Amino acid sequence: MFLRLLDRLEELIISVLIAGATLLIFVSVVQRYGSTVPFLFPYLHGIDLTWAQELCIYMFIWMAKFGAAYGVRQGIHVGVDVLVNRLGENARRPVILAGLLGGVLFTGTIAYLGAGFVWDLSATDQRSNDMEAPMWIVYLAIPLGSGLMCFRFMQVAWTYWRTGTVPHHGSHEVDGVVIDDAARSTAPATAPWGTHA
Amino acid sequence: MSSPALTAPGNPNRGRVAGILMIVVPVLFLGICLLSYGGILVVPAAMRGLVIAGLLISLFITGMPISIALGLSVLTFMFTMTDVPIVAVSLKLFTGIEKFEIMSIPFFILAGNFLTHGGVAKRMIHFASTMVGHWYGGMGLAAVVSCALFAAISGSSVATVVAIGSIMLPAMVQQGYPKRFGAGVIATSGALGILFPPSINLVIYAVATSGMNPLGPTGRAVQSASIGTLFVAGIIPGITLATLLGLTTWYQARKNNYPRLPRATWGERLRAFLDCFWGLFLIVIVIGGIYAGLFTPTEAAAMAAVYAAVVAVFVYKDLKIRDIPRVLLTSAAMSAMILYIVTNAVLFSFLMVSEHIPQSMADWMSHQGFGWAGFLLVVNVILLAAGNVMDPSAMVLIFAPILFPVAVRLGVDPVHFGVLMAVNMEIGLCHPPVGLNLYVASGIAKMGITELTMAVLPWLLTMLAFLVVVTYWPGLTLFLPHLLGMQ
Repeated sequence: MFLRLLDRLEELIISVLIAGATLLIFVSVVQRYGSTVPFLFPYLHGIDLTWAQELCIYMFIWMAKFGAAYGVRQGIHVGVDVLVNRLGENARRPVILAGLLGGVLFTGTIAYLGAGFVWDLSATDQRSNDMEAPMWIVYLAIPLGSGLMCFRFMQVAWTYWRTGTVPHHGSHEVDGVVIDDAARSTAPATAPWGTHA
Repeated sequence: MSSPALTAPGNPNRGRVAGILMIVVPVLFLGICLLSYGGILVVPAAMRGLVIAGLLISLFITGMPISIALGLSVLTFMFTMTDVPIVAVSLKLFTGIEKFEIMSIPFFILAGNFLTHGGVAKRMIHFASTMVGHWYGGMGLAAVVSCALFAAISGSSVATVVAIGSIMLPAMVQQGYPKRFGAGVIATSGALGILFPPSINLVIYAVATSGMNPLGPTGRAVQSASIGTLFVAGIIPGITLATLLGLTTWYQARKNNYPRLPRATWGERLRAFLDCFWGLFLIVIVIGGIYAGLFTPTEAAAMAAVYAAVVAVFVYKDLKIRDIPRVLLTSAAMSAMILYIVTNAVLFSFLMVSEHIPQSMADWMSHQGFGWAGFLLVVNVILLAAGNVMDPSAMVLIFAPILFPVAVRLGVDPVHFGVLMAVNMEIGLCHPPVGLNLYVASGIAKMGITELTMAVLPWLLTMLAFLVVVTYWPGLTLFLPHLLGMQ
């Protein structure tokens, strides 16, 4: 139950952030050119959107950190899996597990370092240039996102240990294109780390 | 990148020793680092780079995500070997992607995903068929053109091969073309999008090299290439490569007397063009907007994303409003994956540069009497080999920061070098044993990889010949940007 809620929350956060950032930049560009039109000038002139660029960067930093965690669950992170896939099932298992544990180790370390970094920042009075938001809140994305990612790697490793399957990401699907079943069955089964190009 | 068809069937114990080695070797490298940290083993400064490269490569081989492998190598290096203060490194780790330019990557991915739809592919195919269908190998030529158009706006080679291939291949077979001919055309043409603007990989190159300003041959600092200039520079090589692939198609079709389509009237052509005009206008917004100075590249990308959403939902009606959250989610995940590699690659290249690795490489090269010509040959070989097993975006992020300063020192233009890397990536997607386009195409065409490898050969050789031309004729790339007074 809690896990399901976490999944949905993760998806909601990253979708809202990417949509919000897009609209934000769109609106700021429209405002910039709109205020040069005499008719619209009185309405748009007074709005100051210089902070839009900065906010967009921070929204994307948050999106990137949580999206990376979501990506672990979806198997979207690409790796060089040519050699691993040539191994037999028994030989491959420890290698893939070692890879997953490497992920746990790295994201865990970053979460720990990031927490220290944010802790030190929160003692200072550093603020961002345009919005003057406290920097430690901005960088809170790092320990939170990395911690979540670490948790996702553990989840995937545990599932792999128990069932021998890892999340697959099918990039071979395009909306509105139907490949018949015969084609699908001969289509390459996605490799452990998924595919992307 | 995946190589699913290589997944070993049968014997589950196959490669037992190899599997153990895959785990032991990285641990050995880690051990060397720890020993040197403890002062037991003295690793000379010149060897440090090699140790870290060894650790990185051995981690790659385990198949773990590229970003994690990069991150682990950097952490190991940072804690055990380097004199660079940890504060500087960790600051870089946390602020590595804080550039507005980098934020164009998610926007371009979003714009592409809105228009990556079978309906858009059909419109492109229809337009291309009316224009070139009546020549020899008409449908093959139409496949090249529609792949180029679709890849340009969708930004994904794999999606292009799937979308165009699944519609075009059955149609070609029905018309009497051999299946291997169709599969060969589509697998290779699908990669064209890397050169056509807006190309995400060119953005990544610009981001990976930005702010480096290395020294040129005369000792003056050279500015790295801007996103706008790279986009413009990609146009002529892109069109040239598409034309060459078309010529290869035409020549084979004429030799074997493959069927032609009836000539379309100009009225039909106009109608087909108007139908796909809305999708193609995206390219005009991006290039025109950046070139005219209306938008920064990131703003252009955001405008393109909003425009693509409007076109997909309200003009083409391929996408329902309720589908939008799904497009947002997949785009966000894909962007996050790339941004995650960017963060770790920035850190990796920061360490490489602070260890003076590109610099000593450049010194060594010029000391050995390597000219730019010899160097570019080596670069091509390295990139072709790496393109075999690596995702294009990861490849640029790792190699560009290391090779770029060397290239500039030897007098190679930054823009030319970027386009050269792009052509290498295209070829990497199409050549055996593990080009991703081949695998996707083999799924659609229901052909084995070996058979498909033979099928793509004529186009692959064309691409390799084109690579030689791009490498040794910088004018082809630089003509348009210079004409437009960019740079």
